[in-house]
Amino acid sequence: MTTNDDLNQLDNATFRSTIRTWIEANYPSDLRNPTKRLHLKDNWPWYKALSDKGWIAPGWPREYGGLGLSAEKQVIWTEELERHGCARLNDHGLTMLGPLIIRYGTDAQKDYFLPRILSGEHIWCQGYSEPGAGSDLASLRTSAVLEGDEWVVNGQKTWTTMANDANWCFLLVRTDSTGKKQHGISFLLVPMDSPGVTVRPIDNLEMHDEFCEVFFDDVRVPKDNLVGEVNKGWNMAKALLGFERIFLGSPRQAAYALSRLKDLGAHLDLTDDPVFQDACAQFSLDLENHKALFSSFLKAISQGRPIGAEISLLKISQSELFSRITNYMMDIGGPDVGQVDSLDAEGLLNPSSQFLQARPATIYGGSSEIQRNIIAKAVLELPTA
Amino acid sequence: MEIAITNDGPDEREESMRLIRESAESVLREDISRSRALRFTSTDYDPEKLAEFAELGWIMIRVPEADDGLGMGLSELVTLARELGRGLTPEPLLNQAVIAPYLPTELREAVVSGEKIVLPAFTPFGATPAQALDGQIFGTTEPAPMGRQADAFFVQTDTGAMLIDKEAAGLTSTQHGMHDGSQFTHLKLDGVKGQSITCDCDTLREEATLVLSAYFLGLSDAAFDLTNEYLKDRSQFGKPIGAFQSLQHEMVDLFLEKSLLAAAVDSAAEQWDKGNDATEARRLISLAKARANKASNAITRSAIQLHGGIGYTDEADIGLFLRKTMTLCGLLGTERFHRTRAYRLGETGQ
Repeated sequence: MTTNDDLNQLDNATFRSTIRTWIEANYPSDLRNPTKRLHLKDNWPWYKALSDKGWIAPGWPREYGGLGLSAEKQVIWTEELERHGCARLNDHGLTMLGPLIIRYGTDAQKDYFLPRILSGEHIWCQGYSEPGAGSDLASLRTSAVLEGDEWVVNGQKTWTTMANDANWCFLLVRTDSTGKKQHGISFLLVPMDSPGVTVRPIDNLEMHDEFCEVFFDDVRVPKDNLVGEVNKGWNMAKALLGFERIFLGSPRQAAYALSRLKDLGAHLDLTDDPVFQDACAQFSLDLENHKALFSSFLKAISQGRPIGAEISLLKISQSELFSRITNYMMDIGGPDVGQVDSLDAEGLLNPSSQFLQARPATIYGGSSEIQRNIIAKAVLELPTA
Repeated sequence: MEIAITNDGPDEREESMRLIRESAESVLREDISRSRALRFTSTDYDPEKLAEFAELGWIMIRVPEADDGLGMGLSELVTLARELGRGLTPEPLLNQAVIAPYLPTELREAVVSGEKIVLPAFTPFGATPAQALDGQIFGTTEPAPMGRQADAFFVQTDTGAMLIDKEAAGLTSTQHGMHDGSQFTHLKLDGVKGQSITCDCDTLREEATLVLSAYFLGLSDAAFDLTNEYLKDRSQFGKPIGAFQSLQHEMVDLFLEKSLLAAAVDSAAEQWDKGNDATEARRLISLAKARANKASNAITRSAIQLHGGIGYTDEADIGLFLRKTMTLCGLLGTERFHRTRAYRLGETGQ
């Protein structure tokens, strides 16, 4: 029996087979290869299984309840989840807030929030974008005013993924509107059951209520729910977007899409077609190179080296590859490609739902255009007009 | 070419196309919201609206004047298709207009007046047609969009076409929900008896392909305009996002795509109506369909990106154009099939 302490000691091949065996034995079989992102009520058994095993946070340091896996092993971890067709969890606490609290939180915040993320008692959502502040996030207007020992929050957030499942929200709020727009932003943790919080789900192009608008009407939050310093939340928010970009730069979506493309090719009798093979070869080239780039970033992070703005490369590379692979599915799919249901009885051929899932990937978490601006300015130091 | 077209000169053609465009523009105003409301309903489209379109003569555009039709060319039907595409108009009238000239008199009169629905079911390009043996047909066809309410199908066979009743023995039809909120009907023909129709069904399939390309042209036009307006309205970083040069360049690339498509569709229709070189006409139709797929995919996909988060919501109209493109682009030949066929026809005439 392998204990969690030993996982990092295993050689990569043994590590892979260990987790593969466990995933196959423990992943709920009716949740394989979902065509839509699952809500908490559906993916909860998987969250619970990982949590009980102590494997819910592979990237977190061991002292906070994570596995502290090396970069290479985190990539293997992702690959094995994809290979088995595991659903994405309600993971905002695991991939974003947790790492942020580990870095910027007080001891009290660490002690209170981290175990509750690991156990799934707290399910988080992210309140960043607003109707007038999307790409221009720093122009956000949702306000928090200190009254005695409480912040009073007013405003509206949008594109809040799975807010209808969450019981906590991490929120960017304006606490000072006198200076530069990046100044005066603070980072606040808000229970979703607070009086004055209203959630309105929005149907997306898959006709799925995956994201929501969230309204805050005189919502009162304890003073200590602020992370970091008042008015200095912007840099933390950017750090959090950095974590998000690592996650969104993970090769999982593109890798999954490519394996489904090969299935689609077999279904269409194209496996031996040289034009189809060349298309797959180009996607494979991009995917393999992307994996190597992703690993090099993870390695730098695990060695404690600071991540620069070039992390944006990962998000561009992954999301655009995902998008191109699914575009190609639609281009070759033939007369039934726009069908809502799977093309096969096993439910593995869903080109149109893969295609729709890829649409927002180049928009959320900072659009491809914004990522390119960041790299052009902060990395290449090109002049601004 | 079997269909005799009127001997009107170029000026009269222009004039009839202008009249069709103008009447369509006034009738189809607000059709985006109408088309949105008809999605995921039990009918796919509005039968009363179809009757209204029929009254305007739209289904009899191609029926010769001797048969009480309008006796117009493919160019006029293409003009209408473009207008229907702009509004994402769902009523199944274009495909009916293509086959109407070949229907038996009584049925034709019922179809052009909107009382009955007869939809073509073509053989996929590159596939073997359904076989007609002793008055019975065996095989499959491309799905028939909006086939749920069809009274009969006009099935392409190896010898022409066969008219089969929706209730005919040996016909299995299944409905498949599509992303645009409509349903496609899949037909399986196992010894179905019907009425043989003498026609060159390959030729009708060519016409349907160009008409579909023209629908995509209208769809691309409207999706482009919607996006261009959005870039003027939406502000971030203190200015309209259309002021950003990278987005301007993207829009220019899409404008080029749509202009190439318009030219491809118009030149194919013109050549078809000249009727003097069938191979060249087919080559131009393939160029039009390949470009239709390429341009409408490029425009609707980029349109979502350019709209940002709002583009991924069902509330925003731009998504309707993406969904319609997803649903229709695989019909009547993929981009790859048509660009290869165009190239081969150009190089070898085959």
